[in-house]
Amino acid sequence: MNTTPIEIGRLLRSSLTGFVAGCRVDQPSLPVFGTLVRVPIEDQLEAFGLVYDIHMDDDGLVRQLATSHSLPPEVIADNRNNRNMPVEISIITVGRRKTGILSHLLPGHPPVSLDVLYRCTSQEVRDFTTTGRLGYFRHILRAEELPVGELLAAHLEQARAAHRESGDPAWFKNATRELITLLRDDYPTLMSVLNALSDLGPE
Amino acid sequence: MNASIRDKNKPIGYIIGGSLKESLRARLIVPPQEVREGSFVVIRTSDWQFYGLITDLQLGATDPRFADEPSGERLQSAISDLLQGQTLFTTLEVLPTLMLERGPDPGSPEYAQWREKRGAISSKTIPVKTIPSHYAEVLPANEGDVAEIFGSETSSGYFRIGNTREQGHPVCIDLVKLIQRSSGIFGATGTGKSFLTRIILSGLIKEKLASLLIFDMHNEYGLDDTATDTQESVPGLKGKFPAAVRIVGLGRGASVRGQAPDFNLEFAQSDIQPQDIELLTHELNLKDTTPATLDALVSSFGIENWYSKFKAMKPGSVIQGEDGKRMPAPDSVETWALENNVNSLAATSLHNKMTRLFHLPYIVEQPAANGLNEIIKALQNGQHIVLSFGDHENDLDYLLVTNLLTRRIREKWVEMTNAHRSHIERTAEPRQLVVVLEEAHKLLNHEMARQTTFSTIAREMRKYGVTLLVIDQRPSQIYSEVMSQLGSRICGWLGDDDDIHAVLSGLAGRDALRGMLARLQPKEEVILLGWGIPMPLVIQSRRYDNQFWGELLGKTHGKVNETQIMKELGFQS
Ligand SMILES: Nc1ncnc2c1ncn2[C@@H]1O[C@H](COP(=O)(O)OP(=O)(O)OP(=O)(O)O)[C@@H](O)[C@H]1O
Ligand SMILES: [Mg+2]
Repeated sequence: MNTTPIEIGRLLRSSLTGFVAGCRVDQPSLPVFGTLVRVPIEDQLEAFGLVYDIHMDDDGLVRQLATSHSLPPEVIADNRNNRNMPVEISIITVGRRKTGILSHLLPGHPPVSLDVLYRCTSQEVRDFTTTGRLGYFRHILRAEELPVGELLAAHLEQARAAHRESGDPAWFKNATRELITLLRDDYPTLMSVLNALSDLGPE
Repeated sequence: MNASIRDKNKPIGYIIGGSLKESLRARLIVPPQEVREGSFVVIRTSDWQFYGLITDLQLGATDPRFADEPSGERLQSAISDLLQGQTLFTTLEVLPTLMLERGPDPGSPEYAQWREKRGAISSKTIPVKTIPSHYAEVLPANEGDVAEIFGSETSSGYFRIGNTREQGHPVCIDLVKLIQRSSGIFGATGTGKSFLTRIILSGLIKEKLASLLIFDMHNEYGLDDTATDTQESVPGLKGKFPAAVRIVGLGRGASVRGQAPDFNLEFAQSDIQPQDIELLTHELNLKDTTPATLDALVSSFGIENWYSKFKAMKPGSVIQGEDGKRMPAPDSVETWALENNVNSLAATSLHNKMTRLFHLPYIVEQPAANGLNEIIKALQNGQHIVLSFGDHENDLDYLLVTNLLTRRIREKWVEMTNAHRSHIERTAEPRQLVVVLEEAHKLLNHEMARQTTFSTIAREMRKYGVTLLVIDQRPSQIYSEVMSQLGSRICGWLGDDDDIHAVLSGLAGRDALRGMLARLQPKEEVILLGWGIPMPLVIQSRRYDNQFWGELLGKTHGKVNETQIMKELGFQS
């Protein structure tokens, strides 16, 4: 259960539909695939998104180290803590909070570089996923280049846990039903999503 | 009981498409096994209520792959259930039949306005002229809906003949409408026609709506009978309505099931007319020359005497002439033929073939009593006649007697009606009469219908207060023009396509009804059809048993089974 907002990193680049944040490798708060995050854009506006990729680029030093014969642990630790290239976390925008009101519309303009990225609390996850009728699924389903099935499975698993905490076990069933409705006419996608959800297993 | 019915009366689906010409389509929201073909449903929109019949159920899938590839093995069962619930479905086909304006919610302010605009006219169903909108709820008809359409037993003239199949709501027919035009009861052998006829006849007698003339070819209706399959005793009408029902035997001294009838019927030879003989062309295998010979007989002897004179002639009888030659005797058929320019061979052949008639014991020179008049008098007085054929159970008797009798009755009724209408005398209108015919195709087939009185009755006697109730196994054999006159049709299972076609001829929604007819239970299930019925409906026939009589006559009739009584008192044997 996470109850306090945790700062993850700062924004590197952004667009209306998604953004990328950089963070340190050693950060204990490194988010996982499918995590719901938010970025305050301005005073009364925040963007919400889901982590769909965590990416680490190499630099010259890493390449050298990777081929050396023996690597003392302190060298490894030093390289990780002080590397030039941050870990890149890619996020798909799925909604916003404007003047305190959550919705699954996109924010009017994207966050800008070095804005701070937070991981949402369980309460925020519950609030966001029960606003409206799961409309944010449309952003995910439209992003064909993403591993949609895996992303949904990861997100639903985390959200399911959050709702379970507050005693709402039906949320997962409703979300699954909504996905089936949305994907009824797209057999391959629906089956891959449902296969992924089935792999979650019962709680 | 009401609570459980109301519980059951949850929506079973909602409208998703269709048209007035074809049928409406509804998405089913309960398992398909909970509804059946032929069920009576109500479709609710805000202002109108539509009534219809389920005519088909179809399984569907949003994508055929969802149906083709069972997901149960690949997916978690809860997810698989959800998937099936969303992608696999059942579509109902509903044949809309009637609609009723409900108006706004009685509690709302618009309701008063609506009532005022509509005047005091009470709610009335009309045939469908439009369709419900998308997503209109489909519900199984409840007891009130059935009563709204088919009437309720408590109103006079409405008589319960069965129950809806699924929920057992009572279904009534409007007896007045039933007898206002001719009607038919059809079904293959053993489907329960005779039993249902007994029920309907009892209703008509009880309600005193008409006099009945029952041609009881198989001696089923008058006296108690034994069911051929269960060997149980089946009460006849006489036993239940001793004063109102008169049993008539055919011929002097005739007995019916070993009992003496109320009176006997004999015909005078002078009653027989050439047309009665022509009617038997097929039965007696008569030749084309018959009408000419009959004409000549009538012109020789007159319409009253031709039969007895002809009967008295001796075909082939000869005498010795003065010259010693043998010549036809004066009383021979040949002599008459010669003198009247009739082909002698034709005349003798006709005489030969008519021998069967000449031997009939119920055609006599002088009837002992005027049975015919008694029948007419009884019918006029509101009594009912069951004409039992007794031992005379073959087609010849049936054709001849029904026709002779009905012709006379028809003449009488026409005469009385005309007298009443023209106010010549202060005569009363003749009593409504229903002629009940078993094995009707024998008299109403394509060949015969033009010659018998029955097709005339079916066509035009409504105006004179005479209608038919025909009972038959083979409706396709009945002349189509007669068939088209049948206002109400009650039909049990039929196996033959032609028969099904005949029963449905001239009705709307034939295609949808055909399947329902073919899939009726083989017994005690009938479909109600036609002008006299508000809308087609499959019902379970009322049972003809002690309980029926108890309900009809208001007390327990017949012997009550002793163990039954003990059981009811709480003693289990
Ligand atoms: N309404 C009913 N109540 C009780 N029993 C019935 C009823 N209808 C049918 N049966 C049962 O079915 C049997 C056949 O019915 P019935 O004699 O009326 O058939 P049918 O249609 O007149 O046949 P057929 O054309 O051969 O005369 C009856 O003997 C009786 O046992
Ligand atoms: Mg019968």
